[in-house]
Amino acid sequence: MKSTRRAVLMGVAASAAPFVATRGWAQTPAAFRFALTPVFLDNDAAVISALRAALAEGMGQDIELVQRRTYQEISGALLDGSVDAAWTCGYPYLQHKAELSLLGVPVWRGQPLYQSYLIVAADDPATALSDLSGGTHAFSDPDSNSGFLVTASDLARAGQSPDQFFSRVIFTYGHRNVVRSVAGGLTRSGSVDGYVWEALSSAEPDLTARTKVILRSEWLGFPPMVARADRMTEPSVRACRAALLGLSATAQGKEALKLLSLDAIEPGEDALFDGVAARMAVLAGG
Amino acid sequence: MRQVPHFRNLPVTLRVPLVMAGLMILLGFLASQSVLSTLGRVQDARLSETARLHVEGLSVALGPSVLRQDVWEVYDILDRARSAYDGQRLLLSIVADERGRILAATDPRRAPVGEAVAGFKGDAVPPDAIRMTGDPVLRVAAPLLFQGRQIGQIVTELDVTDLLAERRNVSMWLLFGNAVATALLAFGGWLAVARILRPVGALVSAMDDSRGVPRPIAESEIPRGDPGLSRLISTYNRMTTAVESRAEAERRLAERERFVSLGRLSSSLAHEVNNPLGGLLNAADTILSYSDRPEVVRQSAELMQRGLSHLRDVTRAILDENRLDRVGQALRPEDLEDLKLLFEPEVASRAQRLHWNVDAGSAGLARLPAAPVRQIVLNLLLNAGAAAGQDGEVGLEIAVDEGRLSVDITDTGPGLGQADLGRLLASGPLPPGGGVGLRLVHDLVSELGGEIHHERVGEKTSVRVTLPLKDAGHA
Repeated sequence: MKSTRRAVLMGVAASAAPFVATRGWAQTPAAFRFALTPVFLDNDAAVISALRAALAEGMGQDIELVQRRTYQEISGALLDGSVDAAWTCGYPYLQHKAELSLLGVPVWRGQPLYQSYLIVAADDPATALSDLSGGTHAFSDPDSNSGFLVTASDLARAGQSPDQFFSRVIFTYGHRNVVRSVAGGLTRSGSVDGYVWEALSSAEPDLTARTKVILRSEWLGFPPMVARADRMTEPSVRACRAALLGLSATAQGKEALKLLSLDAIEPGEDALFDGVAARMAVLAGG
Repeated sequence: MRQVPHFRNLPVTLRVPLVMAGLMILLGFLASQSVLSTLGRVQDARLSETARLHVEGLSVALGPSVLRQDVWEVYDILDRARSAYDGQRLLLSIVADERGRILAATDPRRAPVGEAVAGFKGDAVPPDAIRMTGDPVLRVAAPLLFQGRQIGQIVTELDVTDLLAERRNVSMWLLFGNAVATALLAFGGWLAVARILRPVGALVSAMDDSRGVPRPIAESEIPRGDPGLSRLISTYNRMTTAVESRAEAERRLAERERFVSLGRLSSSLAHEVNNPLGGLLNAADTILSYSDRPEVVRQSAELMQRGLSHLRDVTRAILDENRLDRVGQALRPEDLEDLKLLFEPEVASRAQRLHWNVDAGSAGLARLPAAPVRQIVLNLLLNAGAAAGQDGEVGLEIAVDEGRLSVDITDTGPGLGQADLGRLLASGPLPPGGGVGLRLVHDLVSELGGEIHHERVGEKTSVRVTLPLKDAGHA
């Protein structure tokens, strides 16, 4: 009986651990702080560890990977300088286009692009977004392109808003959580990062097998690495950019990229995110 | 066995072990009940503890998320808490907000978000009150407390199939174990009790011997270790000896009765001997006085011859009555003549009239033994003579017909009393006082396979004895 209680409490503690352990109050000021969101493979400590090691090697400097729950927090931390760089999403990048600059864009399956997937349970008869009216829906993050903007803008084109179209909308703050929500039946449908869904389908096939993709968006700019525009010339930021772009050239970098299912990180250009910008305009206009 | 014998009719050596086995079964039943009820309490306590910890743990973890109504967080915690549990005890956990709307459940398909939790509470009980009901799924409902106030509810379904199976297994083993233990103990008890009661069994069989006579128990069979039983058996043995002594005494008494009946005849027989003596002495005097007169001497000599013949007949009859070597000899008409000779002086002494009528040939009589028949007839005649009194009448009718000899003896006396009839007709214990003559008649008639009938017709008492004739050819 005691073990049951302990198991619950440990589960709770474990879920809280990332926030505590990676805040880094005890870190030296010299450490470069790179922010990640749990939007990605938040459950895989090995990925984070490999990425940190590869970046530290590339930069020749100690690096601290900081995790935040939401894109909003990442954006805030970037802007107020509490982190030096971040792997964020095209949507928040464009939201703060004036203050941020690209450090690099990951290349997935040969191109710096990805799609947003609309998923439902494997046995659900729905085949289109319109079939999901009145159901419950899981978004990843209100500032996520694939996990919110794509579906919201699709609805806006039809003159709808998510709150009107769906009976209930929840934010899971994690693409994997969107898949869990749909697979577990908590919501009928979900909007998820296609790259994450594909990565999960090989890492956790049992989970993705309980869902199916009914709609794939057009190809959009892959979630980029960014830093504050006014700090782009700082040596540490430049070192970070160099390290990111050189990941595919080092053994540790290749290892980290392999774990992330990515090919490389390329410099990228703003035009990659025109599709995202177009959807932002639809949402704003709607 | 067509009908089960009544328990009370069973032998004590079977009844006591049966009672013991019954008590063993009762004891086993009570012990099983006790074990099962303890197991039930332990399981209830286990279940209650599981439910309580589950609810408490969830309350701690869920508090902030429920307060924010964060559906995903609540689901995430429930989902991870479920996978952290060992086994499959928790089937479903539902968390509802203050208004009773479901926030999330481990299985959202069964308990969709937003539905009323009331539909799932059903027969739910608080964690402390949870009890095994035989239902494989039990429900617990508890308030979700956070910072001292209720912010929602938790409903949990517990799968108790394993506990039910455990209970069933324990029941089966108890049943089996108790059955075996009871059977062994009952068998052992039967052996022990049978051993303890063996002297009692021996006593019972000794008392109920096939010959109908209680038989003493051998010294070796007396359990010296049990003072009570050993005293009981010793007492029994003394009683059987007393019964034997008594039967022996009765037998001797009957033996003597033959002499007694002669004794009853002695005074009349003395007269019978004495009367001719006077005549004989006179005849002797006459011969002495008239020795020269041959015709007188011859007359006197003839007189003396008749008198002496009579004396010889009487003494022979008396001797015959007592001769032991007559045992086994067949009855002859002469035996009946002897009886008449012996009885007549008795009749004469009381001035009685005797009706003597024997209608039986020697062939018929020869099919009966002489000694017992003579004894029977003489005893009955003596009794009838005594009963008839002065100037009375005594009759004897003997006839043979249909393979039976019937002896009918009548008298004009006042009739037989109850005590006498008891002696003559029944075989119960002899009443105190009185002679054994009539009982001897009864016993002898029984031995010969005959019957006795008593009748009182008018002023006459009639005792009829019928004796079956044995197969012809009896010498």
